[in-house]
Amino acid sequence: MFQNTKCECGHQNHIGTVLCESCGKPLQDSSDSTEPLEMRYDGVARKSQKVNPSIIDRVWNFFSSVKVAVYLIMITLLGATLGTVFPQESTFINGDPATYYKATYGTIGNIYYKLGLSHTYTSWWFVTLLVMIGTSLVICSLDRVLPLYRALKKQQIRKHLNFLTRQKVKYQEEMKLDVTPEAWVQAAVKPLKRKHYRVHTEGSALMAEKYRFSRWGPYINHIGLIIFLLAVLARSIPGWYMDQYIAFPEGDIKHIPDTNYYLKNDKFTVEYYKDNELSKEMQGQNRLVAKRYETQAVLYECVDQCSDPSKEPVLKEVDRHHIEVNEPLNYKGFMAYQTDYDPTLRLRSVNPEFRNKETGEVYGKFMLEMRNSKLSYDVGPYHLELKEKYLDFGLNSDGQPVTKSQEPNAPAFLFLVTGPDLPNEGFLYFYFPNQIDKQRFNQQALNEKLSGDWANKFDIRVNGMQGVGLSNTSYLTIRVDSAMPFIWIGATISMIGLIMGFYWNHRRIWLRFDGNRLTLGAHTNKNWYGMRSDVAGILKQLHVSVDPKSLDNGGDKS
Amino acid sequence: MNLLDFSSNAFLAAFFLYCFAFLFYIIAISGKMWSKADPARHLKRWRVIAFATSTIGTLSQIVYFFTRWIGGGHIPTSNMYEFMSFLAMMIMVAFTVVYLIYKTPVLGVFAVPVAILIMAYASVFPQEVQPLVPALDSYWLKIHVTTAATGEAFFAVGFAAGVMYLLRTIDFKSKEKSAVRAQRWVEVTLLSVLIIVGFIASVFTFRAMGYESDFKQTIVTVDSQQQEHSKIEEVKYTLPPLVAPHQSETVKFQSFLGMDKPLFEAPSWLNGANAGRKLNTVIWSVISGLLLYGIIRLIVRKPLGAAIHPVMEGIDPEDLDEISYRAIAIGFPIFTLGALIFAMIWAHIAWSRFWGWDPKEVWALITWLYYSAYLHLRLSRGWTGTKSSWLAVIGFLVVMFTLVGVNLVIAGLHSYAGV
Repeated sequence: MFQNTKCECGHQNHIGTVLCESCGKPLQDSSDSTEPLEMRYDGVARKSQKVNPSIIDRVWNFFSSVKVAVYLIMITLLGATLGTVFPQESTFINGDPATYYKATYGTIGNIYYKLGLSHTYTSWWFVTLLVMIGTSLVICSLDRVLPLYRALKKQQIRKHLNFLTRQKVKYQEEMKLDVTPEAWVQAAVKPLKRKHYRVHTEGSALMAEKYRFSRWGPYINHIGLIIFLLAVLARSIPGWYMDQYIAFPEGDIKHIPDTNYYLKNDKFTVEYYKDNELSKEMQGQNRLVAKRYETQAVLYECVDQCSDPSKEPVLKEVDRHHIEVNEPLNYKGFMAYQTDYDPTLRLRSVNPEFRNKETGEVYGKFMLEMRNSKLSYDVGPYHLELKEKYLDFGLNSDGQPVTKSQEPNAPAFLFLVTGPDLPNEGFLYFYFPNQIDKQRFNQQALNEKLSGDWANKFDIRVNGMQGVGLSNTSYLTIRVDSAMPFIWIGATISMIGLIMGFYWNHRRIWLRFDGNRLTLGAHTNKNWYGMRSDVAGILKQLHVSVDPKSLDNGGDKS
Repeated sequence: MNLLDFSSNAFLAAFFLYCFAFLFYIIAISGKMWSKADPARHLKRWRVIAFATSTIGTLSQIVYFFTRWIGGGHIPTSNMYEFMSFLAMMIMVAFTVVYLIYKTPVLGVFAVPVAILIMAYASVFPQEVQPLVPALDSYWLKIHVTTAATGEAFFAVGFAAGVMYLLRTIDFKSKEKSAVRAQRWVEVTLLSVLIIVGFIASVFTFRAMGYESDFKQTIVTVDSQQQEHSKIEEVKYTLPPLVAPHQSETVKFQSFLGMDKPLFEAPSWLNGANAGRKLNTVIWSVISGLLLYGIIRLIVRKPLGAAIHPVMEGIDPEDLDEISYRAIAIGFPIFTLGALIFAMIWAHIAWSRFWGWDPKEVWALITWLYYSAYLHLRLSRGWTGTKSSWLAVIGFLVVMFTLVGVNLVIAGLHSYAGV
């Protein structure tokens, strides 16, 4: 359909224009209507409105609709609620999700799991929704901000009469003037300026405007949100994001997988609330409530021999920090957080003696570390070779010794002992540093079974606490998230936009004289109450007394 | 008298001042119906009295807040009692701000009772100062919780004005289908408020009676080795148990109106600590709320909405619409900052990730999405008046679910704010 888009004032408008971009004359409805005008986006043609849309135009049109945007928001909202029905997979470490949901929540739980709702927020449909919201943000904004900018850039001062009488705030009066209309208009400049309006006059017409910048608030907010969403997506770029949960026994240096860093838990301390510091109902129950816990951490970077497993890596200390909850270590974006701790003391090292059980003669002592144990020890004339090590000793179903975990819960060492007066091939000897394990696993019987009589002639034992090292364990979350700066930048921009858009309003007042008849129209994007009292206040200073409420010309005040 | 006792007194004073202010606001606007004096003068006089009372009440609560802060050693926003009373305080602050802009005393008739209710709700919870767990020991506790609550307080004012708009504009005489539907939903809204009143009333009634029953509950958890561990926990009821905890046995049952055992057991899928007790509380609240509703209906002999409607006579509905929207528009940026951005900053420091899809986080996001939909519908689709008011009413339900419901039915990282 061909449409003449040229206004009577001579301005050539774009297709889809509601109000002439120049004089404001309503173009799309009959001129005798007196209904308040739809002033949204100042009546400009949105970019998306084209005569013959192509496929790309149609996609653009789809995403440029606020209606679609609101649907997307509502669907995302409803989708997000689904994920809070049962705990998400990511929030528990226990057990296999396939059986967990069924076992814990029955059939409903199983359906929940089968529908993939146990990982709602990483599911394809949820991510798609977020991407669609992002697209909608970009397109909706572009579609409106450019035409709006154009329209506000070139505003005509003397507006079409119909434009003024159909504003939602309106005043029209046959004036008894002592001065010319031009002089009256000039007199109106001062009170307007005092209210922070920028005033433009043209003969007997005037336009006053303030806080136009608040119109850009929503778009700045949207830019911030887009940066935020892109930053979230950027975490899937390799190397941008890492997240590990690692146990650090006190005193150990541990390599952080996939990085060049090593971290040492120098000392871990935990402090509990005293009983009298607890609230009354918690007192006297022997409740241990942690007040604070901290890991004195040392961060090392490997500088040489890093990838050769046969050589000791060369480490250089780069940072030291007392890591506490709410006080993470941060070294160039490498973050270590205090997440948990295990106060159970575990054996770290012992300093046992090797002796002759029959004569009681002590041949010497040796230092035995639970982790990083050396493979051979010389004690007096004897030589002990470490054959096997079980940090968490146990027997499997075949009765074979195995280690149940890599934590030194029940360490056991199998030595091959050689030396004077011993058979050439030596004899095997099991050693449990913990007294309790010696009895639990029956060290004596094991050794007799392995080496017969030799087991009764020699003995490894700890004599006194000297040299016994104990340690507790600190659990740290190690994280690298290179997207974080962008997250914060996005959030900040978004916040600036929100403040601009919500705490200021764009207000405009137009007035013109036709003979002695004054016609005034005013528009704001928010807060009509304030707009009306602005107009009434200014008119009062010009000796025109009106009740603010009487300026209301009807229409939806969105 | 130590500082904490003084603080509690200030809290009580604030509570009663709010109640009086509520009464005065009612007198201010309903006076035109019975006052013999010049209605304009009556209104002018009583609205000054009412506003003075509510402001003194707010100041008194601010005194409570700071004395408790000093006395307790940390900001009083770390448990449910403290948080809810803070929210009530911020609702009064938000009300004062909006009142100063619009000078409409009728807002006091609806916003002040919201604050009163939330304050009474706060008093249900243990009022002792409790020690902070390390995760909460951060200055972000102050910043995040206070800004989030401030945003929510403005949403509460938006809710109050939304309810007013509906009560003002709905035609309670009409038998038309749409009008009847609107009337019904207004009744439902008022009933839900009464259920909260019922909750508070039943808790305090049975507390005064010293009611208590005990159960032993067996809780089974599955560890990482797929092994089941069971643990026996004692569950104390302060309301007569209609519902027993899941897998529990009675230790002590104080009989109530001839009932001497629970009627049924809580289902297993209800998560969180003390799920059975919470369900029992919910049932009691509904029962007493319905009872209250019935009594009021018997007295006024018409639907509650229709009974309140005449009070709203002569108030410009457009002003109410704008107040509701304005309050939400003021609250939205504050809420975004407090409940999302500050929350993310703190989560990044304390829990190592800025966002973890914890139920509380998700519900904060849902609240935010909801109000952004509200704003888009209003600004771009022209949803004003009735539609917008309904959205404001539902929005506050979403807020309350985020604050209370999440702790009630879903367990998560924020569970230390437990109900």
